[in-house]
Amino acid sequence: MDGLSIEQSSNPGSLCFVSSSERTYVSILTPSDIIQRNRVIDALLRLSSLRFEGTQPYIAAPRILSAALDSQTLRSSGIGLLVYDERRIEEVIKPGPIQASNIQQKPTPVNTDNQPLLTELAELKSRYFELEQNMTRMMVEFKSIQLHALNSTQPSHTSLSEHFDTLQPSPMTCDQRKLQEGGPLPSFFVNNPWLDVLSKRGKTEDHLIAG
Amino acid sequence: MDFGTSDFKFGPITCGENPRIVNNRGYFPDKKSLVYRAFESAADVIVGDEVPLYLQSNEDLTSRLIHPMKNGMIEKADDNAWKVVGALCQYGLNSFPITANNGFQGYNVVASLSAVSPRYMYERLLDMFKEASSSGKVRAVTIITQPFAVAIGHGVTTCVVIESGHGNSQVCPISKYPIHSAQVALNRGGGDANAITSEILKDTGYGDLAREESLVRRVKESIGLVPDELDVAIAEAKHNPRKFRAKHKVPGTRVEIDLDQDSWCRFLIGEYVFNPNHEVFESYFKRGMPRPRDVRVGDTTFRGMLDFGEAIIASVEKCPVELQPMLYREILLSGGNFNWQVPQAFQGVAVDAPTKIKSLLRNRGIRNVSVKMTTSPQFSVWHGCIIYGFAIPEDYEWDWQRLEGWMKFGA
Repeated sequence: MDGLSIEQSSNPGSLCFVSSSERTYVSILTPSDIIQRNRVIDALLRLSSLRFEGTQPYIAAPRILSAALDSQTLRSSGIGLLVYDERRIEEVIKPGPIQASNIQQKPTPVNTDNQPLLTELAELKSRYFELEQNMTRMMVEFKSIQLHALNSTQPSHTSLSEHFDTLQPSPMTCDQRKLQEGGPLPSFFVNNPWLDVLSKRGKTEDHLIAG
Repeated sequence: MDFGTSDFKFGPITCGENPRIVNNRGYFPDKKSLVYRAFESAADVIVGDEVPLYLQSNEDLTSRLIHPMKNGMIEKADDNAWKVVGALCQYGLNSFPITANNGFQGYNVVASLSAVSPRYMYERLLDMFKEASSSGKVRAVTIITQPFAVAIGHGVTTCVVIESGHGNSQVCPISKYPIHSAQVALNRGGGDANAITSEILKDTGYGDLAREESLVRRVKESIGLVPDELDVAIAEAKHNPRKFRAKHKVPGTRVEIDLDQDSWCRFLIGEYVFNPNHEVFESYFKRGMPRPRDVRVGDTTFRGMLDFGEAIIASVEKCPVELQPMLYREILLSGGNFNWQVPQAFQGVAVDAPTKIKSLLRNRGIRNVSVKMTTSPQFSVWHGCIIYGFAIPEDYEWDWQRLEGWMKFGA
């Protein structure tokens, strides 16, 4: 590409392009990466943090899995999306505005009164929690991709349809037939952040948030 | 399994979007009757779709037909009520036939109870499932509160869920876990709206109809309105009685209720639910309508006269300060008592439940709030139970402090 040079990246599976005015970071996911949950989470976390350093982040995923990705979640997180197959690479989502310049243009005036600082601190924490919620939604989305990949690539694993073959509800409704055929989970599962929160029960100490 | 006061909703994830539903009631047949002896296989208590087949007379409705839950609670010593609950559990477990020799090891059951259920209800219910485990149908069981299930079904991890039913209401903050210590309970629900409706009918010359509970409820649903500001709404309605005229025709009869010049009273019905402290209600209390009082049940004090705005603030302010703005930004309303309609002609004067709650909070200096009805009020508890059972790790064990986790049975 004109005016772009490739910078050495310390992380395998990623590319970094540098021009005179901007830096672009691409984290590349392969079909085998999708199955490894930590790899996906690691990529998303790194890309999110890079937004605040003035870098344009992209995630590159195989085209076959692009239909399962929630474009709205990526847009709200400011992460761009590239999809690729054997023939071409396509930019599907542009990354959001670079965060670093916004922060630099709004310097906070020095104020000896503690209250404004406390208010701002509360607001920053609120934004952090919102970012964490966005991350959780994306992780849930990739977990569903992982399940999909497992069912399609590793037939020896127990799929949802095989699990529910042990039950024989009678009479069967349309929804029950869909589940038995390995169809989608009920709508109230989609993008539900509780799936991730509850899966960590007993493994994290986040109960300190609650009374 | 969702043990609601009126309905028992149940089913595994294979039910898809909606669970199966039966009335939360049981019938105790007369074992001496000819009918019972003719059908010797009849159980001690009948539940589910078969109940109507056994009803013989009006007398049966009062003496033999038992609704176990009163405002989400069961008395500790009410053995018949517990028998009905046990029968419903078995009914739920047996409603989905299992193919033999397919490796089925028993269900992981998620049951849901009212947020104010005392500990003995948890103990009794867990014991029931322990007995059921001997049949191989139950591998593990857990119990979560209905507001917690609503938050899970709605997909919001930090919120305040307000559950309001016939007899009481609960304000429950949640932040990945239910914040039990911050819960506030109100001794007020849809039944209180029925009570004020009954008084209004008596005052307007319909005292004979005011005695029929089901009719009073239908009148409430037909003419009751929630005012944005009660004084403004009353003034508007008195100034323009024709516009706000309240009429209700009883279907299949010649009976028609018409409040005429007193149609402004329709705003009292909705206001009383959300805020019974207005001076206009004092005249009703003086004339004998019971004033909602504070009641202690188990470990919970149900406040009688606290309005919903104060109740939400009292609950949220028991939570960490950093969490409070986030809780105010996600307030979810659940339960039939929040289902108030707003006819288009009355918009601006009458409001729905979320708008009323926002108004009560705004009057107390709390702005930047978001209040919504749950998207699936009838099934959100069951949705939450399904997600909980699906996602919770198998090795997360039951804990009596936290009231979460799997209680496992057998190998």
